Amino acid sequence: MSDADNPTDDASDEFEPIQVFPEAEEMDLRPGADNCYKCSTCDTNCPVAEVDDEFPGPKFQGPEQWRLKRQDDHDIDESVMKCSNCMRCDSACPSSVPLSQMHNTARGEYVENHMSKFSREYVRNRILANYRRLAPLAATFPRTANFVMGLSITRWLGEKTLGITSEREFPAFATETFRDWWRKRGGAKVQNEDQKIAYFHGCYSNYNTPEVAKALVRVYEHFGYEVLVPPQSCSGTPMFANGMLEDARRAAETNVRELAAALEDGADVIASCSSCSMSIRQEYPELFDFEDTEDVAANTWDALEYLRVHEDLEGELEGASVEGFDDFAYHAPCHARNQGLDGQTVELLDVIDGVDAHDVGDSCSGISGTYGWKAENYETSMKIGEEMFDHMDTADAETGLTECPTCSMQMEHGTGYEIRHPLEVLEAALFSDRPETA
Amino acid sequence: MATDTDVLVLGGGSTGCGIARDLAMRGLEVTLLERGTLTDGTTGRMHGLLHSGGRYAVSDQASARECIEENRILREIAGHCVEETGGLFVKRPEDSDAYFQEKLEGCRECDIPATVLSGREAREIEPYLATDVERAIEVPDAAVDPFRLCVANAMDATAHGARIETHAEVIDLLRDGDDVFGVTVRHGAGPGKRTDVPTGTVEEITADYVVNATGAWAGAIAGMADLEVEVRPSKGVMTIMNVRQVDTVINRCRPKGDADIIVPHETTAILGTTDEEVDDPDDYPEERWEVDAMIDTLAELVPILREARTIRSFWGVRPLYEPPETGTTDPTDITREFFLLDHADRDGVSGITSIVGGKLTTYRAMAEAISDHVCAELGVNASCETADEPLPGSERLETLEAAMDEFGLRSPVARRSSQRLGSRTREVLERYDPNPVICQCEGVTRAEVQDAIAQSGSDLNAVRIRTRASMGNCQGGFCCQELACELHPAYDAETVRDAFDELFEERWKGQRHALWGEQLSQAMLTYALHTTTMNRDGDPAGDSQAIDYAAFDGGR
Amino acid sequence: MAIEDDVLVIGGGLAGATAALAAAERDVRVRLVTYKQSTLRHASGLIDVLGYAPTDDGPLTNPYDALESLPDSHPYRLVGEAAIRKALAFFDELAGAAYAGSHTDANALVPTAAGTIKPTARYPTATAPGLASDRRDVLLVGFETLPGFDAPLAAAHLEAAGVPFDVRGATCSFPGIRRDDAKVTRYAHLLDVDEAIAVDAGEIGVRAALIEAVEGHLEGEARVGFPALLGDEHADEVRTDLADGLGVDVFEVPMGPPSLPGIRLEDLLYDALEDAGVRVTSGVPVVEYETAGASEDRIDHVVVDRNGAQVPHRATQYVLATGGLVGKGVQSERQRVYEPIFDCHVSHADDRYEWFVDGVFDEQPYARFGLSADGELRPLDADGKPEFRNLRAAGSVLGGYDYAAEKSGSGVSLATGYVAGTHAGEAVDEVIR
Repeated sequence: MSDADNPTDDASDEFEPIQVFPEAEEMDLRPGADNCYKCSTCDTNCPVAEVDDEFPGPKFQGPEQWRLKRQDDHDIDESVMKCSNCMRCDSACPSSVPLSQMHNTARGEYVENHMSKFSREYVRNRILANYRRLAPLAATFPRTANFVMGLSITRWLGEKTLGITSEREFPAFATETFRDWWRKRGGAKVQNEDQKIAYFHGCYSNYNTPEVAKALVRVYEHFGYEVLVPPQSCSGTPMFANGMLEDARRAAETNVRELAAALEDGADVIASCSSCSMSIRQEYPELFDFEDTEDVAANTWDALEYLRVHEDLEGELEGASVEGFDDFAYHAPCHARNQGLDGQTVELLDVIDGVDAHDVGDSCSGISGTYGWKAENYETSMKIGEEMFDHMDTADAETGLTECPTCSMQMEHGTGYEIRHPLEVLEAALFSDRPETA
Repeated sequence: MATDTDVLVLGGGSTGCGIARDLAMRGLEVTLLERGTLTDGTTGRMHGLLHSGGRYAVSDQASARECIEENRILREIAGHCVEETGGLFVKRPEDSDAYFQEKLEGCRECDIPATVLSGREAREIEPYLATDVERAIEVPDAAVDPFRLCVANAMDATAHGARIETHAEVIDLLRDGDDVFGVTVRHGAGPGKRTDVPTGTVEEITADYVVNATGAWAGAIAGMADLEVEVRPSKGVMTIMNVRQVDTVINRCRPKGDADIIVPHETTAILGTTDEEVDDPDDYPEERWEVDAMIDTLAELVPILREARTIRSFWGVRPLYEPPETGTTDPTDITREFFLLDHADRDGVSGITSIVGGKLTTYRAMAEAISDHVCAELGVNASCETADEPLPGSERLETLEAAMDEFGLRSPVARRSSQRLGSRTREVLERYDPNPVICQCEGVTRAEVQDAIAQSGSDLNAVRIRTRASMGNCQGGFCCQELACELHPAYDAETVRDAFDELFEERWKGQRHALWGEQLSQAMLTYALHTTTMNRDGDPAGDSQAIDYAAFDGGR
Repeated sequence: MAIEDDVLVIGGGLAGATAALAAAERDVRVRLVTYKQSTLRHASGLIDVLGYAPTDDGPLTNPYDALESLPDSHPYRLVGEAAIRKALAFFDELAGAAYAGSHTDANALVPTAAGTIKPTARYPTATAPGLASDRRDVLLVGFETLPGFDAPLAAAHLEAAGVPFDVRGATCSFPGIRRDDAKVTRYAHLLDVDEAIAVDAGEIGVRAALIEAVEGHLEGEARVGFPALLGDEHADEVRTDLADGLGVDVFEVPMGPPSLPGIRLEDLLYDALEDAGVRVTSGVPVVEYETAGASEDRIDHVVVDRNGAQVPHRATQYVLATGGLVGKGVQSERQRVYEPIFDCHVSHADDRYEWFVDGVFDEQPYARFGLSADGELRPLDADGKPEFRNLRAAGSVLGGYDYAAEKSGSGVSLATGYVAGTHAGEAVDEVIR
């Protein structure tokens, strides 16, 4: 409630400036603990607690820790840093406890108050969380960057100096970013006052997998949409996961402002990365209160979900076939699951002739964004992923499929599969010719 | 066969325990008798406010002065029972300006530090305060844990040689002519620690002097010796929220009325209260309107209370007393001062004094006054030390380590444990490994539970008040079983079963007043867990009707 | 454009899954929408049908014998004995080797973590060797770090319950658990993957280490009971290994919440849903509904909220299986009890002080809160008329029975889920789309 809702008409008292926002500066999430009835369903869904008993589980990190707090208690148990922010506890809780909001806030407080800003861990987390800031440099010299990043000496150094695991290969940078391509292309090819989308491509499909972003453009233009590509910052997902709430706040402020402008322009917001859409839809309204945050959240959609609801996507795909793809082993990312999107891809691909998508189960891939990149988490991350790897290995498929960039890294790393995005399959189904490349 | 003691103290509330401690420290042999568990009467049924005196600064300045004095002493001697929350008297637009001014002046007259805050300043301290709160007076109110305080007094009394008997009901006073010389007591059949006397026996205890510190029950006890004490018991409801919406005591700044205080208490906030005279302190109606009034009226001060979850409500009975001729009709107006009724002066019956009125904040001063009286009667020359000697758990609090890594506890659990145990933290926590958390809502570990069992035996309600186990949002749904398990093997299966049943029933009793929304879901989950998964309602153990096992599916 | 299906089941617990599977027996497209995870994870994983009847004191030997004594409004009376039996057969088929008890109508008595025994109709294979009517002696094993199950106490309690065998308890520490607050899924996972742990003489698998910890406690007992955490994905293998290593039968004592047997049952149901081609949408709530044009008595579509985006879902038939007070299919405020999606009528006293009685285990009115329904399980309004023509209800969103006292929860969910789903599936063809 703000003063604006409930104005005071007291004139006799000393002067008080008019307030637009509530006075509470710090997030007090203790009332969120009201919903908890201690059933531990969140704990049984936690992929980290299952493989690592140093992590006491989401119930403790969330409603219990908050309930045991007093206003002036500032110690946060350090184990909160072991949470991978997969957010499975959120969709598990039968009683709607705002678990991930509690974890995000506690993690933010921990990093702010208890982590040395000079520690290797902090520096490493800051770098991982701010991928968006490093990527442009690499993208300017992609071949050099790929070469250097691929050197074993670089990876060794990464582990020794920063605690970034040397077990993983850095994702390759594309020789041309999506935004460069978009600029060269001359922007949108379809103009349509009545049907517009603002594409939130996120960092990864801009710098690393522009083919996904291009597929989105072609697919949406196929359905007659005018595509806008507004200026944008990182969605904030890696920052939340590392407790870098101030970084996330800055990024979110830019995104909300730009996306709100696009809404004003008559567009709905579309994301192709499930963590980006999750972040805008859920984490922004939970953690920030910029003007239009709620509005942007309520009008942000996943790329396939939007078409499915607004177009006859299934009708369009009925009887279509794709070339160049075999059967898929599909992994639903946790952040897609949280948006109720877990069944969508398999359902849609079922309609297309010639390909089958096999769901490889509801386990977490284990990488959870930057989590699995940290040397100390690598082993845990791979343990969590084991179930998915097993299911992929036994699946009757040749290609992996998922919406999430880091899940795809993990899938590739754990199984050697090549991993694609559903939009690429959709593009192939809708166009008989090969995907647009120039 | 009768046992004999110097002084018999009747009543195991804060006053009784305080008296037992005071007299024991002065070297007297003391026996304290309590009908149920310590704090079972009024002490365990209060909102946990350590008064600054601000509340009485206008209407009852004698009480106000007493309060601020004792408030200062308790912060010193009972640091681990007191949380220095501070308090606010907040004024809404419709509350009288004149009264606000009177309150402020009253505080100053009574030497109670008082600062005026603007509405905005008050909201900076307490963000959930209503946006139209105009002004507030800041006073040194605090929160006190009455259970811990009472138990600490009893522990110290025991350490000084006192005998503390719980579940020991006085059934008669022994009177010979004009002299009371002891009591007949029945030792209860319920669970509890009875090291001296077998369960269920009746015992006569004689004493040089008897102190009737049974508060609202003082009339009934005095009546056993044909003495008349006109206690005016007055009930008040307290509604417990699941979390703390405020961390400061919030009082409504208006002359009087129901539902005008919110006390942050441990993990919860307690809303209080009503003030209605009752005939029988053991039997009075607990009414829906009282609970509704707490929520609806106090939501005017803290609006989120309207939607917040309450986990239970309970009622307490104030042991109000006023001299027979005063004739106050509204219990709100009866003084909160205490009275020492020497039955020798009053009724010509020697050997007994009743102490009535008063409040938890002044328990120590009451104990001191009556101990002085007893010593004078018995010709003992010893002075009171209770204002200077810290209670067990409150010694050297400044050296208490914040970092408790060595106990392997997660930080909020370690923090809560040390807040409860005070200077006893180390000796208690290092005793058990592994030391799993038994009550997750309140962060109570096995070591703390075992420490409480060592003090109070198989009485799980006594364990509860010592540790707060089962006092969180699931109200024991998930930990009653765990707590009962901790009694085994020290106690046999039957004792454990009885102790479980008693705790489980007690937890249900208060929850009945919170059965809607989240707490109704919680109650259903608890009910389902215990009846479905555990089948406690169909438990054949101890049942005379044997089950014909052979008639059921043998599996193979 | 709405997402279209023939049957839309709202709720993903035992009743919802059964309804979806029963509907999918027909050639119709079925979708199951479930918001949060179901209360199956709270439950013991046992399939109770009826353990106690109002007219009987002790546990019922045969649940079917007592159906007649139930009140008319009881869900069992609405669907009838034949439907209950069909639903059980449907479940038996579905569960295959994972469950036992179908060989007899008689109830089985299962030892609980509290040391009581409870009557149930079907039980996981993992529980089967533990039945109380089996006369072989038992050793119960508990763990120091799991304070909810004190094996020696449970053993003493079982003896007090008069079980026809000797039972003892032992407490060990669980190999490989480093923290005192490890989750049950951690224990299960250690056993599932047989993680190697360090011991004096090098490394050893957790299963072998557990066998080593327990075997010294055996004094000739023929069976050993553990709290229900013996593996998740590979539970059968874990149990077999332990049994082989110890040379005795091994069984699980139901625990929870959280409950591994409940989780395993949930997995079993969701695998079946996938096999049956039921589309599952999870993690998002149904928040409102629209009726079809002028006819107020037909639901046209419902709206699913996906983090703020409103997604319409249309079907011809709907099944409501959102659970009771615990599952939040029935909710309450100080003045009322209500069903939050369709606002179906929930009968209750106006005064909330009449929602309970004083004895905690006495006949509690709140335990019976829920919808009333007709023979096809269509929810009824206050006047006894169906709320909607194409809405049916199943499981604990239904009222008029106390599943906890009766020990009838799973049975009612199966029977009403089966009946509601079957009717919904059949009714798809009757409607002109």
